[in-house]
Order: sequence, then structure tokens, then C-alpha cells
Amino acid sequence: MIEIWYAIVAFMLVMFVVLDGMDLGAGMLQPLVGKTEAERRLVIAAIGPLWSWHEVWLVSFGGTLFAAFPNILAVSFSGFYLALFLLLWGLVGRGISIEFGGHVKDPLWRTGWNFAFVGSNILLAILIGAALGNVVRGVPLDASGKFAMAFFTNFSPFGNVGILDWFTVSVAVFTLVTFAAHGANALVLKTEGPVRERSLRLGKLLWKAVIVLLVIVTVETWQVRPELFSGMKHHPLAWLGLVLVFGGLLAVFTGLSGQREARAMLGSCMFIAGLMIAGASAVFPIMLHSTLAPEHSLSAYQNAAAGKGLAIALVWWPVALIGSVVYSLFIYKHYSGKVKPLEDTQSPY
Amino acid sequence: MEDTIFWSRLQFAFTITYHYLFPQLTMGLAWIIVFFKWRHLKTGRELYGNAARFWARIFGINFAVGVVTGIPMEFQFGTNWAEFSRFSGNIIGQTLAMEGMFAFFLESALIGAVVWGEKRLGPRNHFLATVGVALGSWLSGYFILTTNAFMQHPVGYSMGTDGVLHLESLSEFLLNPWAFVVFLHNQCAAVVTGSFVVAAVGAFYTLRGKHPEQARLFLKVGTIVGLAASLLVAFPTGDQQAKIVAKHQPVTLAAMEGHFHTGTGVQLNIIGQPDVDNQRLDNAIYVPDALSFLAFGHFNSSVQGLDAFPKDTWPTNIALLYYSFHIMAGLGTMFILLMILANIQRWRGRLEQSRGLLWVLMLFFPFPYIATTAGWMTAELGRQPWLIYNLFRTTQGVSEVVNGGNVLFTLMGFTGLYFVLGVLFLFMVGREIAHGPQGISATGKLEVSHD
Repeated sequence: MIEIWYAIVAFMLVMFVVLDGMDLGAGMLQPLVGKTEAERRLVIAAIGPLWSWHEVWLVSFGGTLFAAFPNILAVSFSGFYLALFLLLWGLVGRGISIEFGGHVKDPLWRTGWNFAFVGSNILLAILIGAALGNVVRGVPLDASGKFAMAFFTNFSPFGNVGILDWFTVSVAVFTLVTFAAHGANALVLKTEGPVRERSLRLGKLLWKAVIVLLVIVTVETWQVRPELFSGMKHHPLAWLGLVLVFGGLLAVFTGLSGQREARAMLGSCMFIAGLMIAGASAVFPIMLHSTLAPEHSLSAYQNAAAGKGLAIALVWWPVALIGSVVYSLFIYKHYSGKVKPLEDTQSPY
Repeated sequence: MEDTIFWSRLQFAFTITYHYLFPQLTMGLAWIIVFFKWRHLKTGRELYGNAARFWARIFGINFAVGVVTGIPMEFQFGTNWAEFSRFSGNIIGQTLAMEGMFAFFLESALIGAVVWGEKRLGPRNHFLATVGVALGSWLSGYFILTTNAFMQHPVGYSMGTDGVLHLESLSEFLLNPWAFVVFLHNQCAAVVTGSFVVAAVGAFYTLRGKHPEQARLFLKVGTIVGLAASLLVAFPTGDQQAKIVAKHQPVTLAAMEGHFHTGTGVQLNIIGQPDVDNQRLDNAIYVPDALSFLAFGHFNSSVQGLDAFPKDTWPTNIALLYYSFHIMAGLGTMFILLMILANIQRWRGRLEQSRGLLWVLMLFFPFPYIATTAGWMTAELGRQPWLIYNLFRTTQGVSEVVNGGNVLFTLMGFTGLYFVLGVLFLFMVGREIAHGPQGISATGKLEVSHD
């Protein structure tokens, strides 16, 4: 039961990172691939009618974590206090710049909102990356099972851990570049003309950078949390994750060079999902690792919701998931194929 | 710790009050837009098509602000109220997860298409998508009100040996009688807000002599729906709400009413200023015996005053609680009177000539927002000093690892951010209203520029 809920919670986080990572990445590239205002609006139209649905995976991840592992939510959300509020403010900036930016046809208004849009996308990618980095490295949980952390420290590899430190910042940079590369694939798939050409060129470049950073971050992780790699041996799902990572990379590179857009898109989804699946399987059952002493780590087994809650939720959760997929397919069906500038860009006056 | 509690309470109160300004309009307006779209589908008249598109644009702006201010609410359970989350997560985690899984997925998948995608979807599917968003917003309301109802009147739980609450019965928890009553009351109030805004825009256009056909439609729909909703919000839903408070939180009822001393044949205070230190109400204007009747159905029923309860169970801010309740009830009464008057004039065919009444309708739209805010302040101040009534005190719930300075920092951040958001919101909605419901094509594009 607890294993199932661990998998569900991880699944929701993977969905959020894969789907919203695409929107955030495409958004970051907006000034690079869109040289005219019409082209920049095309990028937002490509993110499309479902960006909000993508974001809800984060909200529902939070809700599901709350229901299944309430103590993990309590400990981590209060421990990451400032970083979480920055994330929330970034989400405000992103959402509002998409929805309000399109309403007014005025060059100054547009420039301002484009700036806010790109800025909040970059901020969000960095924070999501740092958050993942913190979970991988561990947090200073003490005997009370809680932690409070400095927002940043002196960034020395030998200093104290912080929400932003040398390790989490490098994971954040990796995440930023990966999202950008992932977003480039989405833009290649959803647009035509100059935006597509520029996204394709940038994508090829970015994916090379992803490989370099992947190697660096892997070596760093080896230093910071060696048992993550030894843990992989015992978890067959971690192997599946690694297969997805390498298969995904192969699909991305052959897809981009062979002009097979859908394959490249699928590949980048596989790559990101694979990394997260490998990570989530390798650390199981530890959900929050303690950097101070391993016995203070919080395990899924000790922190799952007690009583009948998990069994009850297992009844309604799949029903809701099916519903969610049905609504999104209803929308995808109407918006399949390339973005149509005349129909899909918001209509200002 | 005192600091953390104070700033965390203020931050939650501020962010939730601000947030709820937006969903109350979208929940009320959603069904009015569904009605316009349904008429458009049936009759093919562009009068209804334009009305639906005009309100959908305003809906979209509201929805966007509602979403971005709503996400921080869910996160604050964990960030600021970690001990509360730990204690009750086994239970309220269920409804918060359900809200995301059932309601937010539905709304978020469809909202983009509702606001911008009429042409992509075609008339029938676009109508369905609008119904979906309306359903989603009400569903979300139900889950969050169930969560709140558990805090007001906990049911379906047991106290675990591990010191936290365990869920015993999902159906008991979801069908909490408190949730049922508060849902009806709250949703009727949301429709009041929606209909008053529609009527106010209709009155504005009539007074300006612009968009006469649309103005007539908005006035008609706004006043008919407004009358029905204003009546329903008072009776039976408001009445039931008061009775359920009288039954389960008698100390709250006493504080709401400024009723200090237990007695029979208790008066209903209409106006007056509570003097909590001396336990009396100054300058009271009251209806004799009415509180006894409203709370328990007999004019001579005994109603417990605050003196019947230990002081450490009294709500912590009695004066504010008293005013919140009286402002809500007073405004609710005025809504009924105004809507009765407006409907009489409309049936006589005189509404569009009654400029004085139109002025009142136009300027009255902020008051439903004030009334709903005051209503929620009544509920939440009335719950104090408990986070979960009679089970868990507010002072026990705050995050132990977060210090007051950090909370003050984020509170100031929210204040600044929400101020900017508010200015932008007013500007955006103002533009839509100034532009008016003319010539909006099915893609939301404007075909002709008017005036």
C-alpha cells in the first residue's frame, strides 16, 4: 500500500516536471526564437490552452502528498519556507504574464509582460531544480525529525548545506538547461516557419549542453550521496529509468537531426521522466534524507498516513486520474497539430 | 513563537480574504455565462453570443487571479501550519487532494478553451466546456468547504495512538452536515456577487446610453437572479447556518450576537457596540425575543450567553466577530430590498427610466464582496480559539521551524504583489467594461471597433 502511494506521489511529480518543464523551457526561449511580436505570441500560443492543466499537476502533487504522507509535507514545506514562497510568487508572475499580457495591444505593455514572463520562467526552473537537488542531497534533519535551512550559504563544497548551495545550484543549472532543451523540442513540434527553425537550431545546441551537464551533475551526486548509486542495484525500476534516459537521448538526437519532431519530443519526455524515475526508485523508501545522521532520515514507511486513509484514497484516486486524462484529451483533440496563429493567439485590442 | 503565530494568522487571513474576492465572482458568473451560451445555442442570436463572450473575458481575468492567488493557500498549510498539517493531514489531506484531482484538473483543462477557443471547439463543445468549468468551480468549492467544515465541526475521525487524527469514514467526513449547509449558503452568496456585478454593468450602460440591448439583458438577468439568490442566501440557507452554529458552537453564537448574559426570550441586536470588558452592548437597537426564536424556534427559548462558557473557549476577537456578523446580515437584508424594488420597476417596465435606482444598482456591486468577506470572518473568527473545534487550538498549529521574521517577510511580499495584482485587475476589467459587449468574434477577436 505504502509502495503504491510512494509511486503515485512520484508519478505526479514526474508528470508536473515533464509537462510544465516543457512550458517553462519554451517560455525561456521566447526572446531567442521570437524576433517579432507575432512570433513571440506564437510561443505563448504553443504553450497553449493547457499550461494551467500542467501546473495543476504540482497542486495535485501537493494535495496527494498531504493525503498520503502528511508528515513529509509538514516537514519539507516548513523547512523550505522561503524557497517555496519564491516558487509561489514565480507561479503568480508566470500565470499573470500569460493571461494579462495577451489582452492589450500596446508595444510597451507587451514588452513589459514578455520580460516578466521570461523572468518568472527562469526563476521557476531554477527553484524546481534546486528543490530536486535538495531532495537528492538530503536536508539537515535532526533528532526531532525537522529541519530549518539557510536560504543560501557560502557555496563552498565543505561548508554547511543551504537551500541554494554549490550542489543544488548545479542541479538547478542542469534543470534550467534541460527544460530549455525540452521546450525547444515542444516549439519545433508545435510551430512552423522561423520560430521552428530557430528552435531547432537552439535545441541541437542545448541538448549537447544537457549531456555535458548530466555528466557533471552525476559525478557531483556521486560525491554527495553515494548510496544513491549503490541503491540502484536493488531496484529494477531504477534500471528502467536509466533505459528511459538513454533511449530518450537517442530519440532526441535522431529526432532532431532527422526532422522527426514527435520522436524528439517523446525522447525529451522520456529523458526527464527516466532521470526522475531512477532517482525516486534508488532513494526508496527514504523520502527525506538527513545530512546529519542517517537514522534521522524520514522513510515512507514511518511517515505514511495512518488509519484507513490510504486504502480509501486508492478507490477515488484512479477515478479522478481517468477524468483528468479525459478532459485533457478532449482539449488536445481540438488543438492537435501546429499552432494556428489566427485562431490561437489571444485577441487583444 | 508568539510572533510566528501572529504573522502566520495575519498572512493566512490576508491571502485567503484577497483570494476569495475572485472565486466568488467566477462561481456565480459561471452559470450566468452558461445561461447566455445556452440561449445562444438555442436561438442563434448574437445578443446572447456577445453577452457570453463579453462575460467570458471578464471571467477569464478573474479566473487567472483566482488561480494564482489560490495556489499559495494550499501551500500555506504546510509552510506556516506544519503542526496542524501533521495533526490533521490524514483527514483534510483527502479533500485537498480531491480538490486538485477532481476539480482543478477539470477547470484547468477547459478554461483556456472557454476564454479563447470558441472557434477551435465549435458551438456545442464550447458550451460543454463552459459547463465543465462551472461544475469544476463548484466542485472545488465543495471540497474546500468540506475541509473547512471539518475544522468547524469535526466528524468521521478517530484519535490515533500516534497522537494524530485518523480518518474513520470518508462518507461521514464528506457529508458533514455543516459542509452541506455552508456550501448552499456560500454558493448562493457567490451567485449574489455574480448577479449584482452583471446588474451593475447593465445599469452603467443604461445610464451611459450605450449598448442598449445588452444593457437590458444584463439588467433583466442580473435582477432576476439577484433577487432569487438574495432571498436564498437569507432563507433557508442563512437561517440554517445560524441554527447549526447555535447547536454546535453556542459560545460563537453568543459572541456573534454580543449576547453576554444567559436568559430566556433573548433579544436580537440589530445595531450596537460591544463593550467586552464590561460585558454589555452600548447603544443597542434590538428586536425583543427574536434571537430565541431564530436560534431555537420559540420566543421564550433559553439562549446561553458568553457567561455560560469558560473564558478560554471564548472567541479571541469578540468585537470584530460581532461586527462581521452584523455587517453581513445587514447587507444581506439590503440586497433583498434593493432587488425587490428593482424587479418591481422592471415588471412595470420602468427600470430603465428609474435613473436613481440605476445609480444605486451600479454603485452597489462592492457590497456583496463585503458581505461574503464579513460572512467568512464570522465563520473563522467564530471558530477561534480553535483550529479544529474543541480538538486543536490555533496556538498549537503553527510551524515550529519558521520564525516570525520569515513570515513577516513573506507577508510583506504578498502585500506588495497583491497590491500590484489588484491595480492590474481593475485596469483590465475596467477596459473590458469600457469596451463593452459589442463585436467580439468567436475567437475573441474584435471585428469592428465601436465608438
